[in-house]
Amino acid sequence: MTGQEATCSQCDAAVRRTDRFCESCGASLSEVRRITIPRPGQSAAGPCADCGNDADFDEYCTVCGHRRVEPDRDKADLGGIVLITDRGIEHARNEDAAAAGILVGSNSQRPDGIAVAVCDGVSSSDGAHMAAVAASTAGVDAMLAALVASRKAHAAVLAGLRAAANAAAAAATDPASAPSCTYTAAAVVPTPAGKTQITVGNVGDSRAYWLPEAPAAPQQLTVDDSLAQELITAGAAADSEAVQRGAHTLTRWLGADTETEPWSESSVQTITVVGLGSLVLCSDGLWNYLPDAADIARFCRGTDASAAARALTEYALDAGGQDNITVVVIPIGGTS
Amino acid sequence: MSSAEQGISVDIDHNPYLAEGSGTVDAIVSIAADVAAKTSAPERVEAIIIDCSTSMQAPIEKFDAAKRATAAAIMELVDGTHFTVVCGTEKAVSVYPVDDGLARASTETKAAAMRAVDGLRPHGGTAMGTWLAHVRGIVGHRKGALTHAILLTDGKDEHETPEELGEEIGLSEGEFTCDCRGVGTDWEVDELRAISTALLGTVDIVADPEELAEDFASMMRVSMSKSIPDLTLRLWTPVGAHVEFVKQVAPTVEDLTHRRLDAGNQCGEYPLGSWGAEDRDYHIQVDVEPAAVGREKLAARVSVVAGDQVLGEGLVKAVWTADTALSAQISRRVAHYTGQAELAQAVQEGLSARKAGDTTTATAKLQRAMELAVESGNDGTAKLLRGVVEVDERTGTVRLRRDVAAADEMALDARSTRTARVRKET
Repeated sequence: MTGQEATCSQCDAAVRRTDRFCESCGASLSEVRRITIPRPGQSAAGPCADCGNDADFDEYCTVCGHRRVEPDRDKADLGGIVLITDRGIEHARNEDAAAAGILVGSNSQRPDGIAVAVCDGVSSSDGAHMAAVAASTAGVDAMLAALVASRKAHAAVLAGLRAAANAAAAAATDPASAPSCTYTAAAVVPTPAGKTQITVGNVGDSRAYWLPEAPAAPQQLTVDDSLAQELITAGAAADSEAVQRGAHTLTRWLGADTETEPWSESSVQTITVVGLGSLVLCSDGLWNYLPDAADIARFCRGTDASAAARALTEYALDAGGQDNITVVVIPIGGTS
Repeated sequence: MSSAEQGISVDIDHNPYLAEGSGTVDAIVSIAADVAAKTSAPERVEAIIIDCSTSMQAPIEKFDAAKRATAAAIMELVDGTHFTVVCGTEKAVSVYPVDDGLARASTETKAAAMRAVDGLRPHGGTAMGTWLAHVRGIVGHRKGALTHAILLTDGKDEHETPEELGEEIGLSEGEFTCDCRGVGTDWEVDELRAISTALLGTVDIVADPEELAEDFASMMRVSMSKSIPDLTLRLWTPVGAHVEFVKQVAPTVEDLTHRRLDAGNQCGEYPLGSWGAEDRDYHIQVDVEPAAVGREKLAARVSVVAGDQVLGEGLVKAVWTADTALSAQISRRVAHYTGQAELAQAVQEGLSARKAGDTTTATAKLQRAMELAVESGNDGTAKLLRGVVEVDERTGTVRLRRDVAAADEMALDARSTRTARVRKET
């Protein structure tokens, strides 16, 4: 096998495997794959949970009339990236969402770029789950488009933030209610030197953690936009009563009722990492029970992404599952 | 089917929230047909039944007016309409065409029909069941046609038993629609209402024979504007549910509950009759098995069907909540139409008690009716009620009038089912 030649999927012209664009027609040579969870229509599959009947119209059982129960969990694997979103125990519905996309170029084991976003719908707003799905999907799409054009993670995350903000604002169907959500995103690109560049950006309190293999120290990459974080930044103790009370009060979010660019440029941060590790994005339904990077790292070391994501979700459920739980585990630097 | 059946809209207005353990769901279903009558020309069949009993000539002006009214109705026939004119006594006889068939409306046939009507002489009794049977024999079994009759009488159904009439009404259901008119004050509102209700038509009094011609012409114009022969309301309900009632509530109150035909697959069908460009409101009440708080259930799926074709659909949802502020709300339109149905019933029960000499019941019922009519803005019924009762403007109490014109009382009775509308909630 020479391994040097390939053809453009658009025009069949011969291209080099290292090319990002076809010299002949200009088409991108990366294959784009993407996913958003929870996926709609999952509830229609299978028999009615209430009466066992198989048929339904719209979302209602044709026999007992019950609206089909949404599944508690949706899990997806996109080229080794594992996404889980779970309703939890206390909440009636899941208002979180997660999206991921990859650009597969010449080396299918090592994508040309990765874009991931986690959104947590704010329960006090109507249609929060719609905002979460719309924002995470739009954010990942915009990041992928930016990565196709140029492999610049920082620019991609900013483009994603703008697209997600517009999508969340547009998710309002009733002018009286403004659905809103958090948004935490990461763009990952390999550098020519064999390292990996990770850029994160966030609005709200969903988090991103970098969990390298030992002995390197795990770290939280994002800073929450919450009242608690503002108090800590101002000098309050993390376990003080004021901080505990303000833990979940958001100071920034996406939605129609917020400023058009509710993020600071300083929230977009880039690190360059060497070697193996896991990048984890999650909603507060997980980190409430595992706030420290070291806690989450314990679940990710020495196991694959799928087992890690499942173990983290189960831990949050066992601990009480007071909120929707969303976890995305992205293996970095390995062959997954 | 034809393009006329496009443009049916179905709107559901209700409060979907139910308290824990409660299962009664009320909804107002508004059906609107936006059809151009001229664009499609279904087969039209018309029968005009004119009472030729001896009493019609007392006074003779009454019969002359009836003949003029029949002529006026014939004039309104759209060319090509199949029609017949029937003379009714203790038996029924075809006046035009005389062969017990149908003529096709044209300038010539209309003129011939009017000449035949002009030659009629009243002589005989009254047996409306035989009239219906005769018309059914001529116009029945024409699937897909708009088949309509006008029935005029001036007296009681004397020459057959109520059972015989009831049987003929039952046999005619679904074969043709029938608008009934009583001229003068010697006929029975209940008798004609039994026919018009079963045959999905209207009933009214024409106290002054001079007004008959305009009334007949207008009835025929309305009939000619219809373009959908038969609409059906199909109601799906979940297992364990019970349909308490299905009522048309606007423009008039007509209880359709007992008209249900089981259609399988948890569906029941109710006939809605023929339609032109118009809208009607229906009140449905369904009892479903309560679900847990937080759950949502489909309490009913309402489809409007012509033949096998579903033209419009609406969903009646039920959501159980612990929030009593949500579950305690009653849809404004459900409340309004509940009042309108009670109003029609109070009028009919009040008049019936008055006839029976039960002044106490009559006063109580008609006072309640007056309150409901005024509250709901049903000015038509309120005005008719004032012909039968006096209202003390200060206290609002009601007293039966000593001298009531028979025509006023019959008009109130015949028109008691007309309802006031209320705007859709936005």
